[in-house]
Amino acid sequence: MSTMTINGKLAPLPDDPDALLVDVVRDALDLTGTKLVCGAGVCGACTVLVDGEPAVSCLMPARTAADRSVTTVEGIGAEKLHPVQKAFMAHDALQCGFCTPGFIVEAAAFHDSWRAAKGTAVPSREEIGAALSGHLCRCGAYDGIFRAVADACAGRFDGEAFVPPRMEARDKVTGSAKYTVDIHHDGQLEGVILRSPFAHARIGELDLTAARAMSGVSAAISLLGDDRIVRFVGEPIAAVAARDRKTALAAIATIKLVSERLPSVIGLDEARRADAPVVFEKSTRKKAGNVSEGAGAPASWKGNIRGPSSAFSKKPKKVRSWIDSARAANSPLLVEGTFRTGTQQHACLEPHAAVARFDGDRLTVHVSTQAVFHLMELIAKRYKLDHDKVRVIADHVGGGFGSKAALGVETTTAIELAREAKAPVRIAYDRHEELSVTGYRPAAEMKIALLPSDQGELKALSFTAYADTGAATNSTIAALARLIYPAEGKELADFDVISNLPAGAPFRGPGGPPMAFALEQAIDEAAVRMNIDPIALRKRWDPDPNRQRLYDWASSLEVWRNRKPVAAQSGRYRRGVGVATGYWLYLWQPGSKVEVAVKGGRLIASTARQDIGTGTRTVIANTLAGEFGLEPHEVEVRIGDSKLPEGPGSGGSRVTASVIPPMLLAIEQLKAAIQQSAKRQPVRGSNAPWREMLAASPDLSVSSVRPEDSRPMAPGIQSPLKQAGFMGWIFGWMMRRFSNLAIGAGVPSSVQVVEVEIDTWLGHISVVNVHTGIAVGKIVAPALARSQATGAVIQGIGYALYEAREVDSRTGDVLSGGMEDYRIPGIADTPMIDVHFDQRGFDHVLGGSVGIGEVATVPTSPAVANAIHHATGVRLTELPIRPDRLIAALKGRAAA
Amino acid sequence: MTPTAMTATQAGEFRAAGTDLSERRRSGVSKGPLIDISATSDTIGMHWDTDGSLRIGAFTTIGAIAADARLAAAYPGIAASAQGLATPQVRHFATLGGNLAQRSRCWYFRNPHIACLRKGGPDCPARSGNHLYHVAFDLGPCVAPHPSTMAMALLAYDAKVMTDQRSSLTIGALLGDGRNGGSDNALQPSEMIKSVALPSPLQGERALYKRAISRTHAEWPLVEVCARAVVKDGTFQFVRLAAGGIAPVPLRLAAAEAALQGKEASAANIASAAEQATAGAKPLPMTGYKLDLLKGVVRDLLEKIAE
Repeated sequence: MSTMTINGKLAPLPDDPDALLVDVVRDALDLTGTKLVCGAGVCGACTVLVDGEPAVSCLMPARTAADRSVTTVEGIGAEKLHPVQKAFMAHDALQCGFCTPGFIVEAAAFHDSWRAAKGTAVPSREEIGAALSGHLCRCGAYDGIFRAVADACAGRFDGEAFVPPRMEARDKVTGSAKYTVDIHHDGQLEGVILRSPFAHARIGELDLTAARAMSGVSAAISLLGDDRIVRFVGEPIAAVAARDRKTALAAIATIKLVSERLPSVIGLDEARRADAPVVFEKSTRKKAGNVSEGAGAPASWKGNIRGPSSAFSKKPKKVRSWIDSARAANSPLLVEGTFRTGTQQHACLEPHAAVARFDGDRLTVHVSTQAVFHLMELIAKRYKLDHDKVRVIADHVGGGFGSKAALGVETTTAIELAREAKAPVRIAYDRHEELSVTGYRPAAEMKIALLPSDQGELKALSFTAYADTGAATNSTIAALARLIYPAEGKELADFDVISNLPAGAPFRGPGGPPMAFALEQAIDEAAVRMNIDPIALRKRWDPDPNRQRLYDWASSLEVWRNRKPVAAQSGRYRRGVGVATGYWLYLWQPGSKVEVAVKGGRLIASTARQDIGTGTRTVIANTLAGEFGLEPHEVEVRIGDSKLPEGPGSGGSRVTASVIPPMLLAIEQLKAAIQQSAKRQPVRGSNAPWREMLAASPDLSVSSVRPEDSRPMAPGIQSPLKQAGFMGWIFGWMMRRFSNLAIGAGVPSSVQVVEVEIDTWLGHISVVNVHTGIAVGKIVAPALARSQATGAVIQGIGYALYEAREVDSRTGDVLSGGMEDYRIPGIADTPMIDVHFDQRGFDHVLGGSVGIGEVATVPTSPAVANAIHHATGVRLTELPIRPDRLIAALKGRAAA
Repeated sequence: MTPTAMTATQAGEFRAAGTDLSERRRSGVSKGPLIDISATSDTIGMHWDTDGSLRIGAFTTIGAIAADARLAAAYPGIAASAQGLATPQVRHFATLGGNLAQRSRCWYFRNPHIACLRKGGPDCPARSGNHLYHVAFDLGPCVAPHPSTMAMALLAYDAKVMTDQRSSLTIGALLGDGRNGGSDNALQPSEMIKSVALPSPLQGERALYKRAISRTHAEWPLVEVCARAVVKDGTFQFVRLAAGGIAPVPLRLAAAEAALQGKEASAANIASAAEQATAGAKPLPMTGYKLDLLKGVVRDLLEKIAE
């Protein structure tokens, strides 16, 4: 038997020639800091050092490591933190943390060789970008990573003096943070799902006998619904739990099934044809998924088309007649266009995963989820268990972005297999599953017509959106155009186009980015036609007080003031500057509770919510510590466990606004209780009165529920739904009644100014500079808010330029199921990002803060497109703006 | 049995560093026995001859080729190509032989549930399906571009490949003419690449490499070109252009080369020669853009060489 030396210790290597180093490291040696993500050497999350050289352990045969020295993240800074680890912590160069160990290993190796050769010289962005080009971060922590690597190389983190702004940063840079995929119980089995190879079929007989009979297999179950119909390639059919993944895969290969193929239809164009096969018959429509954050309103169906959902329209008939007349009169002011966006995958680096375990009648499920508490409720309901018998745990979550908000197949299957096998079962999706069946932001085709009045006001807007929702419904794109740029009339219609593709899911501001891509380009075009500065036009047409301040900030930017006329350049490389606006709703979750306690002199805040990388652990710590005059690391935050007081889900940017107000109430009560029970008051003039009182306090605990916002509002601040009149009121009531979400007053807003450089020969677009102005009230954790803001821009650049799911339009196979074909931004694609927080506007919310996650990504893609138009005079109407599309547009031809 | 790699035999599939094969083993595209191969002193490293020519062992890593200063001085196009492919971690371990012998990156080929010519299937699903990243020179039944950047660079240098069975294979002989849909190369069963020989560089030659991609790094090329030229007294004495990402095998751009031979190294001449880069192209419905990119990359490189 051969051996390797790993982190200084000898370890055996398996004889299996197919064993890969990552499996030995993670499974046999339980060094779970090393992560398996893409399995193809693209993302670098599994990077380890082999004889000092960074290697992707997901591609390295384990036997290659024989007689070599392997170092994992656990071996870096094992005794004392490496300068790179300290720099990552100090610069908040991480969010969900799932990619962080790989970055740390590579950056440490780069740092060490750089320092050896160049002392404390500072590497350039280009050098850092090239060195880390084998790593991908889905949260987009690149801005901090640049600063961290540069400062570590410059020797600024050789000492111990640094303050990590993120509570759990140390666990993430050392690899000790445990995610769901890292959970390992004794006797734990591995579950694998057999998925449909057909886009549409009825499954007859399903024979699991051979699978069950295999050695090492403990359970095999059917996952078919009552109608036994599969509606997309990848729909679950059956599942197996076995002692390891290899055995489970072998077992599902023995499953025999009889299937009757049904006619299928793939994608937006085919599914809209009158003769298209119908995906959901009337009786099965409830099986369709939901692509929005809230429950949807009823809508009519015709074949595969659901809609129009047009409740947010205002004088739609008049709008149509005004636009028809303007068109007939060849009005130069009438802006019309058709815009298309691509299908964006969440591409979470931690795949959807669950580990289920029964202890008697108690069920514990570790899940990579955005909603520990709500998931507990859903599981209890589905399996008819009492709430106190179900516990959902998620200490760390490797990205979610909306895709992990529901009770998913990975979780129900792990539970059902565990019950059947009488053993704990883990299900962790592979990359192809993650990039095909876990949801996506639906592609959309949007027709827009925008008509200014003769006086230069916005008279009419017509916006019709068809969303490519697959086996799902409830896309809301056009309706969002109601809540910005008031007009005399708006004709807004949303359609879902259902086809034999996996179901879409909510994705960071569902409907917002595609709506903005169409609307913000139409506004930009109107400004060109009206010969007015695009920011000035927005300032005229958009009275929202938060955005009025952001427009003033944006128009004062040097890059904006020095803007050249449209298409003023003619060389190979051209630069352009574009602007766009975005908003999102301020949502909060009624019933959200926080408990604050003092125990043994230490402050503890507890709530059943989760940190998916957004930093809400830190938001809680900063608020609690701040109120008591302590440092954040002096308090304890307990989250990620459904046993704690009911907390909000991480969706709809709701967490900050759901958690801080009840926490502040609880803190107020706790302070009173501490003072009441204090035997003596602090020394007069003490700098840290609460520290003294806490040290002397008996154990006390107070919890509080999220109060309604009742404070007086600043002028102009109102519920965005007011603009939509009675329908808005109904919508608000429905969101609260059916989705447990309250829509508050005031509109979280974002204005972005983007500078691009275009290579007209190679169709290459570089986003050079981004200025992102954000109004979400008071910033509680500035470094982390900055990370959210820059990450949102980077994800927006992915949406604008690179990302699109590709399918085979005949078979419905997802072709972009790997990270090399589904292209998310890399570190070298990161622009210089200037973040401006306007902290006013939410004084009516206790604490003054609302969420940032979604609004920060909405305007990026139209701002990029407007910048391209500014540079070239050509309007790019389809996302992503790939080289082929840019070249075709520059040459005035249609792209493929 | 259908060979699952170009170096496959009845006995099994060769594995060097496994940077391509491991992904196919994990997905199930490659099954069957493995034959682990490793370097001997003769099949790894740089072996310089007194005439300035170089033989590179097939087990030499791409990273070693990218980092070798003497190689970069003599064969800058080879060094730049090695620096431009894959990611740093892959380059540290991937071998030159493995790079030449790697299998198609076509998304139909890489999906274990889809049949295709390369896997012994009856036809090419990409041809009639989604071929956004496929060939623009449609030379054979399979429309996947050849993935080997090193093969493209070696073609530009007239390199010869030594195997355990044959000596002095041209890149054309190694990979075939692109008409064999069933295979990524023309190696015999159980034939193993041992080393690659580069003729000594020309006096005063310059060489560059560039790939057109959507992002900045770490992406399979939409189009890639290695350009070599000797410019003397303001005139192209020698021009050599090899391109990848556009055809089932790397291609020489002979018409563009000929258009510049003996011509003044002016921007106008370069621009008009770049138009010739697409001579003989046969794009698919979705790959016409690659011709624009090809012209653009050729023009970019020649302008820089002529500077």
